[in-house]
Amino acid sequence: MTFEAVILLLAVLVPTIGAFALPLVSGLSRRLRNGAAFVLVATALVCSAALVPSAVAGQGPTVRLDFPLGLNFVLHADGLAVFMAIVSSLISTIIVLYSTSYISHYEHQDEYYLMVVLFLGAMMGLVYAGNLILLYVFWEVTAIASWRLIGFFREPQHVVRADKALLVTVFGALAMLLGFISIYAQTGSFDLTTIQERLGGAPLPSLAVALILAGILSKSATLPFHTWLPDAGVAPSPVTALLHAAVLVKIGVYVFARLFIVTFTVTPEWHTAILVVAAASALVSAGAALIDTDLKRIIAYSTVSQIAFIFLGLASGTVMGIAGALLYILMHGIAKGGLFLCAGIVEQNTHTKDIRQMGGLARTMPVTAFSFLFCALSVMGIPPFGGFFAKYMVISGAVQGGQLAVALVFLVGAVLTILYLFRVFNRVFLGEATSSVHEGSRVMVACVALLAVLALVSGIFIAPSSWFAQAAVEQMLGMGK
Amino acid sequence: MSDSILLLTMVVPVAAGLAVLAIRRSLGILREVLTVLVTLANLAVAIVLFGQDLTYVRPWAGFGMDFSLRLYQFSGFILLAVAGFSLLVALYSWKFMRGRPKLNQYYAYLLISVGLTNGAVLADNLVVLLFCWEGLLLTLLGMIAIGRPGAWKTATKAFLIVGVTDLCLMLGVALTGWMAGSLSLSAIAAKPLPLDALGSLAFVLLMIGAISKAGSMPFHSWIPDAAVDAPLPFMAFLPASLEKLLGIYMLARITLDLFPLAPESWLSLLLMIVGCVTILLAVAMALVQRDYKRLLSYHAISQVGYMILGIGTAVPIGIVGGLFHMINHAMYKSCLFLTGGAVERQAGTTDLSRLGGLAAKMPVTFTCFFIAAASISGVPPFNGFFSKELVYDGALERHWVFYAAALLGSLLTAASFLKLGHAAYLGKRDAANDGVKEAPLSMLLPMIVIAGMCVLFGVYNPLPLNHLIQPVLGARLEGHTFAGLPGNWWLVAATCVVLGLALVNHLYGVRRTGAGLGAVDHIHHAPVLHGIYDRAERRWFDPYDLGLRGVGVVSQILWGLDRAIDWLYDSLAVGLATTLGKGIRLAHTGQYAMYVIWSLAGAAAIVAFLAGVF
Repeated sequence: MTFEAVILLLAVLVPTIGAFALPLVSGLSRRLRNGAAFVLVATALVCSAALVPSAVAGQGPTVRLDFPLGLNFVLHADGLAVFMAIVSSLISTIIVLYSTSYISHYEHQDEYYLMVVLFLGAMMGLVYAGNLILLYVFWEVTAIASWRLIGFFREPQHVVRADKALLVTVFGALAMLLGFISIYAQTGSFDLTTIQERLGGAPLPSLAVALILAGILSKSATLPFHTWLPDAGVAPSPVTALLHAAVLVKIGVYVFARLFIVTFTVTPEWHTAILVVAAASALVSAGAALIDTDLKRIIAYSTVSQIAFIFLGLASGTVMGIAGALLYILMHGIAKGGLFLCAGIVEQNTHTKDIRQMGGLARTMPVTAFSFLFCALSVMGIPPFGGFFAKYMVISGAVQGGQLAVALVFLVGAVLTILYLFRVFNRVFLGEATSSVHEGSRVMVACVALLAVLALVSGIFIAPSSWFAQAAVEQMLGMGK
Repeated sequence: MSDSILLLTMVVPVAAGLAVLAIRRSLGILREVLTVLVTLANLAVAIVLFGQDLTYVRPWAGFGMDFSLRLYQFSGFILLAVAGFSLLVALYSWKFMRGRPKLNQYYAYLLISVGLTNGAVLADNLVVLLFCWEGLLLTLLGMIAIGRPGAWKTATKAFLIVGVTDLCLMLGVALTGWMAGSLSLSAIAAKPLPLDALGSLAFVLLMIGAISKAGSMPFHSWIPDAAVDAPLPFMAFLPASLEKLLGIYMLARITLDLFPLAPESWLSLLLMIVGCVTILLAVAMALVQRDYKRLLSYHAISQVGYMILGIGTAVPIGIVGGLFHMINHAMYKSCLFLTGGAVERQAGTTDLSRLGGLAAKMPVTFTCFFIAAASISGVPPFNGFFSKELVYDGALERHWVFYAAALLGSLLTAASFLKLGHAAYLGKRDAANDGVKEAPLSMLLPMIVIAGMCVLFGVYNPLPLNHLIQPVLGARLEGHTFAGLPGNWWLVAATCVVLGLALVNHLYGVRRTGAGLGAVDHIHHAPVLHGIYDRAERRWFDPYDLGLRGVGVVSQILWGLDRAIDWLYDSLAVGLATTLGKGIRLAHTGQYAMYVIWSLAGAAAIVAFLAGVF
């Protein structure tokens, strides 16, 4: 086994297995457990970052164990997988750091850290998986972890919401599993490269595509499977940041890219269908975000709306659109994670999530206010924030793909984005102060400020991330081989 | 000289702006000194660079998005104008802003705006242009928000209006880049695009971005609000000068370089209509204002109409007139706003009903006001007269309707400035204004410089026309020059008649009401106009409010849709499962015989399946 294969294995196994050691470590010291959780997640980040050079060069490592009946265990690191792994683990690292302060007042901390780290480990497994069954298994592990995390506070209503999230996403996942089985029936393999060879460029049958799409759309909270996401806003804020902003909802779009762009070919009608669904999703959720009054629900609706932009880029079928979608995953993850973490500070200090009862918080929590504003501007796509490039490239990709009408609809979505984010910011941070609150703890404020600065820096110094995204897309489309 | 100097014109002001943000209050005037020095250096660089051709290209975001800047005649001219106004506003702010809160934010936004404007002017790549252009949204937001308490509402309004049009610009850029196969402005200019169906869409999208930045209708409604809420030098700085320069520069680039506009095109007609509507509606609103700054702000909208009309005519004389009007407007309008600031600071109010007789107390301010007001009204021999004559000539070449609209606009402009000047500087002095003194030198100096330029650009108009503006059109002029006296004396005569009418109207109004402020009351309270004015004052026609109301309705519908989908999960799915469960529970009776029957039926079904019955 090469050195890089070991690194790849470590990126997946360290958080996945290490997570179960956290409750044991907790017996020794809580601080040690917090530190260990941070180290486990950071390991995934460092290992993934170490894979960049070889993955971009198209020589990413593969770990492979063969079993009978065409079953196997395959991990493979290509540009797309490494990009996704870095984005997820980078944001997760900051979220775990934030959690050490946020969660310190609550019970069941062992469970919390176990689930968060396990979740990230499963995410690593999912992005590197080179086999449909492996992908499915990790997919369901993330579902179970998020189920426990959403219901973390154990209030009856929260548990119901957690069940709803689990039921919707598992329903989709089972549909997807059926789709995988039908592919197995056709090709006799779950291995992505083998399937690709045996299909030889022939398009997937529509039934399989529809089943897999059900899974993707439910995981990525897209119309009509999206309502579990705002409901899951009852979770602790770092969890919502992790699930709704940075990682969980990106699973769907990642698998879309992995299966429908890299591995299989689907007929163009499906891309059009996705665009229509995404456009509807962008508008409906943006409209809902303008009406709802719960801070975290609004941000969650915003996520639903922004995910649609990622689908727009992916389904445009152009290099620029797909690269824009990858950048969108990065920029939206950073900015939306920041928004949720800011909401966490606000929620913890004002003891409410209703924006009608807030106001004037900018005076007492200036750093949080500015971080929120920066992240919001990035989500809106205002330069010099990173979101600008992502939004421009996605729209431009759609135009290049000949989808001008869809691009116009998304322009309306972008307008609504500006509207609802300003509505939230003005209601919460400006105007008359309704209560006297103080700034969040130093660690939490530092985390949101870090994300805000990242949102800015990633835009001003766009070249590295843009280069990475471009290299990954060219690899995905098999260009330059 | 190295080409990196172009990058420095962007980076240095922005970096200085960020540095100012960090300067503590206790360091005294360091912020002001730094701002003035940086803007001074910026002007020096702009002067040195003027007339040169430089290109700066570095790889940036990939996909044709190179970081490329290009200095040539046109961008050099705008760069120079931007630098001049920035320096003067920085000087003016020194005394005016003294002692106000959030000063470091103010100066930081000012410097960052300068850097981003330089970038937008020099940009030779559409995405670089978009980057700087949209980036100006941030300073716009910030500069208005630090005004008086509650100004953030106006800031949000400005951000939303300009932000929406910037998104149109974004789509326009994407479309143009795709059609041309290149994002480079100079590459597209070398092989311009046709105005076919798709080209027209791209043109309109780009145009929306450009004219909205310039403050044209229907994207104007934040400007009068900002005049009241934002710190005053902001008005002289962004809406009066920098944004006009940028917007009209962009419009000229679109119509000259990207999509050459022919007079036959319906887009030319569209531009002229937008221009005329803007002239008339905005000046009609300006006429009835009773606040110095609000009145000026409506003129800042109205005058854009002349520039858009001039460029929209698509004939050389009109384009030259439009561009000449752009630079003239930036001068007299910023000068007017600066006089407004001087009055606000010295007299403590800009409410015209509480002002009066200031000419004796503030003679220098009054003189500057007089020159600038005469310029904007188109009185010879000031600069506004010459540029308006060129625009008139171009408009008349297309159709007399456009000329008539422009002339009517001039009549109302002159009338409203007679009213403003009379109410503020002449007439009876309010007892409260007895102690008013002339403004300090650092505020007077920028006004004097600009007023002097207004005279210079009028009396000696070959200087701007031959050296700054006409080279932009180059070969299109076919050797013509529009410098010197107007070519069509009939138009001049008409202008003089109109100015005379304005004076007669003023004298009539003053005699009727006995005060300068009431000079146009007979128009304001005329039978039909009265109702329209009342509704306009109550914001019935504000496109922003109308738009927000529309969005509110639409989002209620979308929200209903969302709730309906949620109901499918929360009620329908749960209900189905419960009902199904109840139904199945009925089958579980606990009777042994029943279970045997179920088992047998199941086994029979399996056998039937295996036997191939299904």
